[in-house]
This record gives sequence, structure tokens and C-alpha cells, in this order.
Amino acid sequence: MADYSMMIGGAAGQGVQTVSETLSTILTRSGYYVFSIESYESRIRGGHTFTLLRVGEKQLLGARRSLDVLVCLNEETYERHIHKVHPKGIVFGKVKDQLRGEDIRVFSMDFEGEALQLGNKIFANMVATGAVLAILGIPLQKAQEYLQEAFGKKGTEIVAKNEEALKRGAEIVANFGLEGKYPLPPYDPTPRYLVSGNEALGLGALLAGCTFYSAYPMTPSTGILNFLASRAQEYGLVIEQAEDEIAAINMAIGASYAGARAMTGTSGGGFCLMCEGLGLAAMTETPIVVVDAQRPGPSTGLPTRTAQGDLLFVIHASHDEFPRFVFAPKDPEEAVNTVIRAFNLAEKYQVPAIILSDQYLADTKWSYDVFSVQERPERPLLPNKVPKPYKRYALFPDGVSPRLFPGDEHLVVADSDEHDEFGHLTENLLIRKAMQEKRMKKLELMRQEMRFPFFIPGKDATLLGWGSTWGVLLETRRELQKKGKEIGILHFSDLYPLPRGLQELLAGLPTPVVVEHNFTGQLAMLLSRETLLAFPKRICRYDGLPFLVEELTEKVEEVLST
Amino acid sequence: MTRDFDNPQVEIAWCPGCGNFGILRALKETLEELGYKPQQVVLVSGIGQAAKTPHYLKANVFNGLHGRSIPVAFAIKATRPELCVIAESGDGCMYGEGGNHFLHAIRRNPDITVLVHNNQVYGLTKGQASPTSEEGFTTKAQPWGNLAHPLNPLSLAISQGASFVARAFAGDIEGLKGILKRAITFRGFALVDILQPCVTFNRVNTYSWYQERVYYLGDDHNPHDQIAAFERSLEWGNRIPLGVFYMNPKPTYEEKIRERTLRQRNVFDTEVFTTILQKELSRFL
Ligand SMILES: Cc1ncc(C[n+]2csc(CCOP(=O)(O)OP(=O)(O)O)c2C)c(N)n1
Ligand code: SF4
Ligand SMILES: [Mg+2]
Repeated sequence: MADYSMMIGGAAGQGVQTVSETLSTILTRSGYYVFSIESYESRIRGGHTFTLLRVGEKQLLGARRSLDVLVCLNEETYERHIHKVHPKGIVFGKVKDQLRGEDIRVFSMDFEGEALQLGNKIFANMVATGAVLAILGIPLQKAQEYLQEAFGKKGTEIVAKNEEALKRGAEIVANFGLEGKYPLPPYDPTPRYLVSGNEALGLGALLAGCTFYSAYPMTPSTGILNFLASRAQEYGLVIEQAEDEIAAINMAIGASYAGARAMTGTSGGGFCLMCEGLGLAAMTETPIVVVDAQRPGPSTGLPTRTAQGDLLFVIHASHDEFPRFVFAPKDPEEAVNTVIRAFNLAEKYQVPAIILSDQYLADTKWSYDVFSVQERPERPLLPNKVPKPYKRYALFPDGVSPRLFPGDEHLVVADSDEHDEFGHLTENLLIRKAMQEKRMKKLELMRQEMRFPFFIPGKDATLLGWGSTWGVLLETRRELQKKGKEIGILHFSDLYPLPRGLQELLAGLPTPVVVEHNFTGQLAMLLSRETLLAFPKRICRYDGLPFLVEELTEKVEEVLST
Repeated sequence: MTRDFDNPQVEIAWCPGCGNFGILRALKETLEELGYKPQQVVLVSGIGQAAKTPHYLKANVFNGLHGRSIPVAFAIKATRPELCVIAESGDGCMYGEGGNHFLHAIRRNPDITVLVHNNQVYGLTKGQASPTSEEGFTTKAQPWGNLAHPLNPLSLAISQGASFVARAFAGDIEGLKGILKRAITFRGFALVDILQPCVTFNRVNTYSWYQERVYYLGDDHNPHDQIAAFERSLEWGNRIPLGVFYMNPKPTYEEKIRERTLRQRNVFDTEVFTTILQKELSRFL
């Protein structure tokens, strides 16, 4: 079955992302499945950036290390990645030593030179795109349609030049006799969706009925801001770039108090600044949704890399204790549903809901045959009669008081100080005790809303993971299956509060191995705390890069052999 | 007689003689005289003595975090422009902890009123220097005397072209009411810095200290002249001007987004949901 991995690398500013964007779209529209991950640096020009693009006939859930095609927009790409190309692979572009003594075939192609002949070196990336399409035997027709869409606004001349560049790339490949070298099966006309994590989180917010989004730019969360801003005009959204993350979360809280569904998004550093605001949402029982798109830290860390280091942080963030939801969607499809659910649950229990994303989920594009959105925005019903005079924090048995908005006949008083049922500040310690119990009471009800982890049994071992690693865990399981091992998976998207009944499940798992993008194994610690079981086998990657299928497979084999 | 905005339910925790009492009374009377109902008003505050004020009125209240009243007020107004939104807090809260929000609210120009009870000290935390304390002001935390130069909030706001900038004195309730009326009815970001004696922790800037110095800007002052307003704002010492220093009417934030917010639809309607879902998904094909 056709399944190829390709890498396109170059310096920032050389248009690697355009190649990736163009190829992913065209390949998806041509009926194939794509999985593309972006690796970039925190700079606008220079440095090294690449896209890892996998294309195949069946749905792909992760990226592979070993490359079939390496496209070098600069020589550095060649030097850095040539060792990843497997025997019989093809390398082209700015290459160094053309004779490798192995089966790898290396072709020198001067993309920039070709582009210059067309009038401008910016067309170099389209020459490369044409070359890749030719190697895969994809006719250029779909590509031409896409160019019209993507560059139409810039004028017919630009579209024509890009088309020429595509053709030029394809011609060169034909001259080398490489056309259709990695053939894909005939065209399947099923339309497919191609969605990244950030787009999905933005789409989820839009569908959830979020009409207020405030944020301070911070990679890798900025794509959510961009997505929602692109829809603001059409759907009447209030989108505000705040002066800092403190303002961003306080704005979201203000908007929610006033009746809007409000969200903010950031990365770890910005989340640190939001902690006091998170407590404010909890204390005033104002529902908000906060996305933390994780990146390695501490401090500024690695802005453009991936990590899962904030799990225990967000569960505990802000002083004293209060209930909150924490979710970590496994892929873009689940991300859309998770955001809608997070809004519904945050409102139902009047608590903050946190969604953990990461650079890997945020920037990776997945393709789907069916993109299923099952969740619907729901506003919780008010009791038939709200007792008068209105008490914002009325002590109802379940801890959830009727929530009204200002502007109607009732007065709505919310307070960050400890307060009485009306919302007025108090230092009466009996009331304090009752209020803390009221808030904390919700936690057990919230727990009942949480879904059980996704589970596939396997007798040889079980891989435990959370959030964005789901796909690569599944791919790794398949890989090990080929080697005769039966590996199970237990994957968590609902992380806090954890659902009940985990103890029995976890106690019976054969050889649990926790796989995480952090140093200490935070899921393992969380589960140990919850179940009093120990999870000593851990595979932790914290260099900022996502797990790739072969690497994780090797690591699992290694762990199981010790 | 209880008036609309009176809230006899809540016990007031200020020291007897505190300047905040005058501000509270002036605010209640102003809102009533302007014809507002408590339901139409949202008072947003931070933390401090001044920030307790909203609890002592009958109105909608959001008493948030220290320094963070402005972002909350901004968002309430952006979401519900029909409400009268007032952010109210102390000098430490607005100019210290929340200084960044103050600057950026001027830039956004939401139609909110910002009332700063400026007692030139941190009252609630028992008397430390605030951003507006005078140089040399001694406190337990600054026994050697405050080393920093006081912030001039009026000059700052005027220099940034804030749309309405005024100063009032808590010791003159009628004068304060006149200014509050103009600030609340003004369309755009309106700052009123209110000189507020703290009888417990500020033994320098007392009622009589202010009374000896304050005077109202006369007809000779043109509040539409930014340079003149800036010049008058620098006056501080033997004579301290009160009144409306500067007015710079310009489109508000809510006006700028109005065309857009009118497009909001019922987000909980199933049909609306389905239409948006289909349209959006087709964009990902
Ligand atoms: C984040 C945070 N830091 C510190 C405090 C403690 N604190 C409460 S009020 C205040 C200063 C009050 O001064 P001001 O804003 O001038 O109000 P005043 O009491 O003078 O009216 C401080 C430092 C707090 N509540 N929150
Ligand atoms: S400490 Fe000062 S500001 Fe606070 S209530 Fe007493 S007099 Fe007023
Ligand atoms: Mg003060």
C-alpha cells in the first residue's frame, strides 16, 4: 500500500511552508491522506525549517522518520537530513556529494536558478512543488486550480508564473526519468478534510458560540487568534489583542459575566500570567475556556517546539483550591468537539475549563474522510423560578447557583473577595466555609461528566498517553503488531477531574508504559495519585520534537526488553 | 429616605471621616439624577478601600482583582454596549498594579468611566507609598521617605489624547457631582481622578491641605486644546486645578465594532449551528 514520507527543508523565508501548504491541499484534494508536521524556528528569515509530509492511501495518524523523498531548498537541509533517507530514496535540490555509494539517488536541481529564469527567485518553492507532484505522478490540473485560489488575488500574472514554475519542476523530474517513481493509486474522488489543530480549536470556539476572544500573541497558540479574527466579520465576533495575558483573561471573564461565551488562548508563559485570573473565574464562578498550547520551557523556552509539560501545572494553577476542567484533545477532529464540550461544561458548572494543546497538535495537519462534529452548544437551563431577591451565589444543594446576566430586572453582584450569597464581600468565616464547600462540591459532579480513556487491550504491554500523542501511539501499535507484539493503548483526553473507575482498569493492565513529552512523566504521577498504583516504565521525550513512529517503536521495544 | 442606589444591606467598612464617603454619596446622587436605574449600571472595581465602593451601592457589581478592573469593564461594555459601565478603584489599583491596562484603555477608547479615588497612599494595606505619593512621603515600608517621583495621571492621559480627562475633590460633593455627570454622559473613555483624603494613613494630603490648594478651572480654559490642557495638568503645588481638563471626542471602541457585532446570531439555535458547520467544513475540503 502506497505510504510515502517526504521532507521539504530550507531556511525561513524560502517558502517551505508554502510548499507544504500547497502539497497538502493538492494531495488531499486528489483523494489521498496527508499528515504534515511543521518544524520551524523562532525567526522570520534564515535558520532551518522543514515540513515532514506523509501521504498515503489510508488514514495516517503520525509521522515517520525514514524518508522516501528529501527536497533540499538549501544545502543545510541536505547535510542535516540525508542520513534519514532510506535506501532507494530520492534526494533532490541543492545537494552536495552526488555519489553516496548507496542506493540513494541524488539529483542536483537548481530551484532558484530555474525560478530566476521565470523572473523571480520566489517561484523556487513552486518549482520544488511541481517536482514532488511529478514524482508522485499527480497530474498538474488540481494544482492549477489551487494556484488560482491561492494566488488569484495577486493577479493573473502571478498565477501564470506559479503555474510555469510548477510545470518546470515537473519537467525536470521527467528529464531525470523520475516521473511517477513513487506512484499513488488512481485518483479517488472522495472529498477529504484537511485540518490543523489550531484551525480546529478556532472552529470549535466558533461553533460553540464563542463571541468574545481576547489573547496576547504567543506561539504556538496564535493560529487560534488568526482563525477567529478571519471569521470575526462574518459572524460578528469581538476579537481583541490584549496588552498582556492578564488583560486577556480578565477581558474574557468580563465578557462572560456580561453574558457572552468567552475564550482566551496562550502558551505556558502566558498561562503563568493568567493564573490569578483563573482563580478569579473560579471565585466569581464565571465560566471561561482557556487554551494552553504547550511548548518546552521553563520561562521562554523553545517557542516553536512541542511539549506536554504543563499538565500538572494547569491542574494546580492559581492559589488555594477550586474545581476546573482540563481536557487535551487527541487530534483536530476531537479538538473541535472538545471546545464545544468545554464551553458547555464550563457553563453548566460555572467553572473555568482548560484545553491543553501543544505545538504538535496546533501546527499539524490531518486529513479526514468524515469530520464529525457531534457536540452542540447548550446553555444550561435555569430553575423555573429564580428566588427573589436574586442571590448570585445562592447555596443550592449541588453547589451550582442560578446564573443571570446584568441588564435584566435582577442585580448581579460578583466578587473576587470571599462573599455571601448575594455576592457581597464578607469576612464571616462560617459563610467562607459554606462557600468553599459550595464551590468544591461541584468537583464530584464534574467527575461524572468525564469520559473514560480510549482503550485498546493488548497482552504484551499497554502504552499510556494523553493529548496529541494518540495518533503516534496507534501507529506504533501497528508497527509492533507487524513484529508479532500485541500492544494495547490507554489514551486520555479528559484529564481533570479523572473519571471514576480507573483503579480497576489500571490495576489489570499488562506492563503499562507511559509515553509523554515531558521529563518526569506527569500523567504517570497523576494516575499514581489517583489510583495509588506505580507506573515505573516511562518513555519521556523532552527535546522539543514530536515522537516519530520508528523512534517510538524502538523505544517501546527497548523498555520492554529491560 | 432610601434612594434607588442606596444599599443599606451592606455594612460600610471605611474609617469614619474617610474621603470615600463623599465619593460614594456623589456617585449615588449623580446616577439617580442622570435617571439611571440600578439595573442599567455595572460597577467594576479592583481591590483596595476605594474598590469596595460598588458594594455600598445598589447596582450590578463585578468586584475583580487588584489592578484589573479596566479589562473587565472594557469587555462588559464591548459585549453589552447598552449598559452604563464604570470602573472604580484606588490610585494603587489603577495606576500601579493596573497601570498597563490604564494606558491601553486610553488607546481603545471604550465608552466607560474610570473613577480613581486618589488618596496618594495604599489604604487597605495600611499606608505604603502609592504611585501618586509625594517624594519624601514616609511610611513603614519607606521609612527613609518615598524615593520615587509621583505619577501625574492627568498629564499622562492628556498626552495620550484620552477622550475625557478631569480631576475632582471628594471634599466638594457638588463640584464632584458636576464632573461625574459630565464624565458619565461623555461618549468615550472618561477619567476622573478624585483627590480623596485618607484620614488614617495620609497625614500630609489632608482635607485642609487640599482645601487650601484646590480651585476650579475657569471659562478661560479651553478643554479642546490639548496643549493648554497638558500645561494646566502640570500645575501641582500651591494651587491644584480641578475640573474638566481635556475633551477629545472620537469614535468609541463599541462604535467601531458595531457593524460587526450586529451580525451576531443566536448561537444556540440548531439551524444556525448546522448552517455554520456546513459552510465552515466546506472550507476545509
Ligand atoms: C495581586 C495583589 N497584590 C497585592 C494585593 C494587596 N493589596 C490590596 S489593596 C492594595 C493597594 C491599595 O491601594 P489603592 O489601590 O490605592 O486603594 P486604597 O486602599 O488606597 O483605596 C494592595 C497592595 C492584592 N490584593 N492583590
Ligand atoms: S484607611 Fe484611608 S482610605 Fe481606607 S477607609 Fe480609612 S481613611 Fe479611607
Ligand atoms: Mg490609594
